[in-house]
Amino acid sequence: MSMRATLALATLRRHPSRTALAVMGIAVAAALLLDMVMLATGMRESFRSLLLTRGYQLRVSPKGTLPFDSEATIDGATAIVSALRANPDIRAVSPGLGATLALPGHRFPSVFSLGLESDVQGDYVLDGGRDLPPPSDRTTGAAAPLPAVVNRAFLLRSGKQLGDTLTVASGIDAQLRTTARARVVVLAGEGRFFYVPAETPVMALPLRELRTLLGSAYRDRMSVAMAESRRGDSASVEAVRTWIAQTQPRVTAISTETAIRQVEERLSYFRQLAFVLGAISLGIGFLLVATLVTLSVNERRGEIAVLRAIGTQKGGVLRQVFLEGFMLSATGIAGGLLLGLVTARWLNGILRDFPGLPAAFDFFRWSPEAAWKSLALLLVSGTLAGLLPAWRAASIPIVRSLREDAVG
Amino acid sequence: MCYRWRAVSAALVLFAALAACPALAPTAGAQGDTILSPTYGRRAPTVRGIAVDARMAEDFGLRPGAVVRLSGTPGVPGDSVTVAAVFERRADPAEVARREYRIRTHVDHLQQLLALDDRVDRFAVGVPDSVPIDSAVARINHVAFGFRAHKSADVAVQSSRTFRVVERFHRAIGLITVVASAVFLLCLLLLSVEERRRDIAALRLMGISQATVVRAIVIEAALVSVIGSVIGAGIGWVASLIVNAHFQQVYRTPLLFALLTPEIFAFATLTSLVLGIAAGAVAAWRLVRTPPLTLLGR
Repeated sequence: MSMRATLALATLRRHPSRTALAVMGIAVAAALLLDMVMLATGMRESFRSLLLTRGYQLRVSPKGTLPFDSEATIDGATAIVSALRANPDIRAVSPGLGATLALPGHRFPSVFSLGLESDVQGDYVLDGGRDLPPPSDRTTGAAAPLPAVVNRAFLLRSGKQLGDTLTVASGIDAQLRTTARARVVVLAGEGRFFYVPAETPVMALPLRELRTLLGSAYRDRMSVAMAESRRGDSASVEAVRTWIAQTQPRVTAISTETAIRQVEERLSYFRQLAFVLGAISLGIGFLLVATLVTLSVNERRGEIAVLRAIGTQKGGVLRQVFLEGFMLSATGIAGGLLLGLVTARWLNGILRDFPGLPAAFDFFRWSPEAAWKSLALLLVSGTLAGLLPAWRAASIPIVRSLREDAVG
Repeated sequence: MCYRWRAVSAALVLFAALAACPALAPTAGAQGDTILSPTYGRRAPTVRGIAVDARMAEDFGLRPGAVVRLSGTPGVPGDSVTVAAVFERRADPAEVARREYRIRTHVDHLQQLLALDDRVDRFAVGVPDSVPIDSAVARINHVAFGFRAHKSADVAVQSSRTFRVVERFHRAIGLITVVASAVFLLCLLLLSVEERRRDIAALRLMGISQATVVRAIVIEAALVSVIGSVIGAGIGWVASLIVNAHFQQVYRTPLLFALLTPEIFAFATLTSLVLGIAAGAVAAWRLVRTPPLTLLGR
């Protein structure tokens, strides 16, 4: 260790409680800055990875809406899906229909149901049991129990286990107290649904059977279709999106980038809050180091004057005081990194309670590049904060300072 | 694609289902008014009227009297309707981040447009003051089939969950800020008091008691804290004006995003005062325990 660093370290160690407080203050500021950077970048990355979980880069929804933003559905779904599948630039298309089915005689009256085609579905991953069979293997008899994949929340709330059966119904007539259609389903598998909040019970059923269950009005309807471009680059995805917009006037095709932009607009409050608080924490770190080093220099005017009197160069004094600011900032930031990760988990836990958010969505996500950049910014800012007091220390009038120190 | 977007839509509201091109106003056919229709006895006007929200009216250049075409299905010509009114949205936090246009139609008109027969999403029930709400809810649910009654208060609690989460988040951020401020304040007072150790040593040598010195420093710290709080409140008030102006323009809403209330001011000042007094007392106590001659460097 160089002489300057040794002296700077000795100065900091001379007042352990003061140094500890300064380090703690910088650590809190660094933690807040890190959290805000994680908040600003985490939502976007989290939502992107959520959308691309199964490789589908496009969502096709009813004209003018976002997927599942309203109860609107797309009529003539078969023709639209066929047209999409016929396009050589599209690798796969996954249609889905969302509806609420009644559960007569159960603990909760209804369940959100998703009609999917099992071989192309991108809504869940199977955690246990059996998946929905592909259309070719399905028993078509109306009396045969319909296989269903449900989530953990459904099993917990219904008290059912895999293999159990229950009846689902639709077309409720409140006056006659009857249901138009009912079907026995067997809980074949347990799935982890990407886009459904963890606390919402959900049931996935074969698309064709769900349409039949919902009645003639839903015979050829879907709520959304997900499409995967054969070449995954953004230009190809955009070309497919444009083609859908031109050939299918009754639907809106949304790319991952567009969806992220729209969600960012809705959650822009948090991004802007993150920016404001991040800037404030940067300012606090700067002020803290500047104030501490300034007061510390004022306190040691005599000592610095002695150093200058015995021949220490201005640059030497400047480097030593500068090093003090750097050491305070570096130690505080190292502590702030750990503190920031802990508080990010805490804050993420609070925001994860947002109603209706997908289970896999995170507000705070560690992004090494962004985090290191922000902490480096704080380090530079904290170190620079020591520049002015360092310059003042180096410029101390030697004789007057010695006299003041001797006389008091 | 979040299913949270499956937002509940009010019966009287149709989200973004308007073919918003001004039409040449062909006269719509007379509305049916049979004994089975929900509008029996109330003959509907030939061309139905709708109300559009101010944001939509502004973006599409719609004024009362304009004729537009309204359809429940994209690509279908739909009905010609007149814009009967332009309404301002309420300052509803639940809708602030949603940018949909909104129109209001009569229930039967919407049912007709969506081919929904005699259906509604929900309806509100008023009960006389003498009837306990819980018993009314229980009685409705006892006879209900296919629908469920909820107390308005419960619905409000459920729909305000988002804001309770935001409130908890703000509290957590506030706690972190208070911790940072406390450390900052303690550092500053510690240093500023220690910087004056010669003055304090002189006071002690003159016979001023430890308690008096501590009291003087604590009073000084309290004054600094209160003055700092008042200046901070002023900065906060200006910041809240900027925040409100910015977000009201971004979301086109009259909603207030930041509000400086007397309670908030009192809380901030009190917190600052307590922290200041504690920090001043700690700093003063550290100093008065040291012998005066040591403070003078002798």
